[in-house]
Amino acid sequence: MLLDLSEEHKEHLAFLPKVDSAVVAEFGRIAVEFLRRGSNPKIYEGAARKLSVSSDTVQHGVEGLIYLLTESSKLMISELDFQDSVFILGFPEELNKLLLQLYLDNRKEIRTILSELAPDLPSYHSLEWRLDVQLASRSLRQQIKPSVTLKLHLNQNGDHNTQVLQTDPATLLHLVQQLEQALEEMKTNHCRRVVRNIK
Amino acid sequence: MEESSEQQLDAKSKVTSQLIDFEWKLGMAVSSDSCRSLKYPYVAVMLKVADHSGQVKNKSFEMTIPQFQNFYRQFKEIAAIIETV
Repeated sequence: MLLDLSEEHKEHLAFLPKVDSAVVAEFGRIAVEFLRRGSNPKIYEGAARKLSVSSDTVQHGVEGLIYLLTESSKLMISELDFQDSVFILGFPEELNKLLLQLYLDNRKEIRTILSELAPDLPSYHSLEWRLDVQLASRSLRQQIKPSVTLKLHLNQNGDHNTQVLQTDPATLLHLVQQLEQALEEMKTNHCRRVVRNIK
Repeated sequence: MEESSEQQLDAKSKVTSQLIDFEWKLGMAVSSDSCRSLKYPYVAVMLKVADHSGQVKNKSFEMTIPQFQNFYRQFKEIAAIIETV
């Protein structure tokens, strides 16, 4: 599968052959760092001064590189397809090799970063628990009733949520058994077969 | 005279929520994920509140014994003032 690069994207990348490979390698390093931690516009200004070009040109070059890497990583395109996609840009062979190496070196990490985007449902973050003994209530005095209070910490799209729940030990045991059963399902022949086929 | 007191009741229910029920329980925490041996008594309160649309919401909270004693003092003060009204 070849990458479909827009004209604008090709224009932005056209800056890369105009600087030497050490600079492109540096841009590559910046691109991956920006994917890890977010972009920092000050870096563009510094580089623009050193290269005597506008900071917009530098920004487009780096962003073009970021997009090239993320699209390739997202689709998990083969070495050959990457080379063919970049070949269209008409770059010198040395630059093509550099870009390919950049892709292969960083593909796995970029895919990990991309997989963390757009989580949908709330997901488990942590669980706090407390074992209580209820001694009295409005309707009944002189009790000894054990209960478990749970504080479930959830994450959703970067937001933190908590849910406080209370249950008795018997229900908690049942909950644990149900969860264990769910995990056991992974070991059945059916699930094993499905997972094997996906891989 | 009757009309004005009826209006007063109406004004309250349109603006504020109504307390439907006040449930409580007294418990003692004996162990937690961060501290294994505890002897921590607390009062847990669950309020049932209906907003002006009639929707009932539950609000629960816990108080330590000192917090509860403060809580109780507030109500004693309110009761004392009502006597004078």
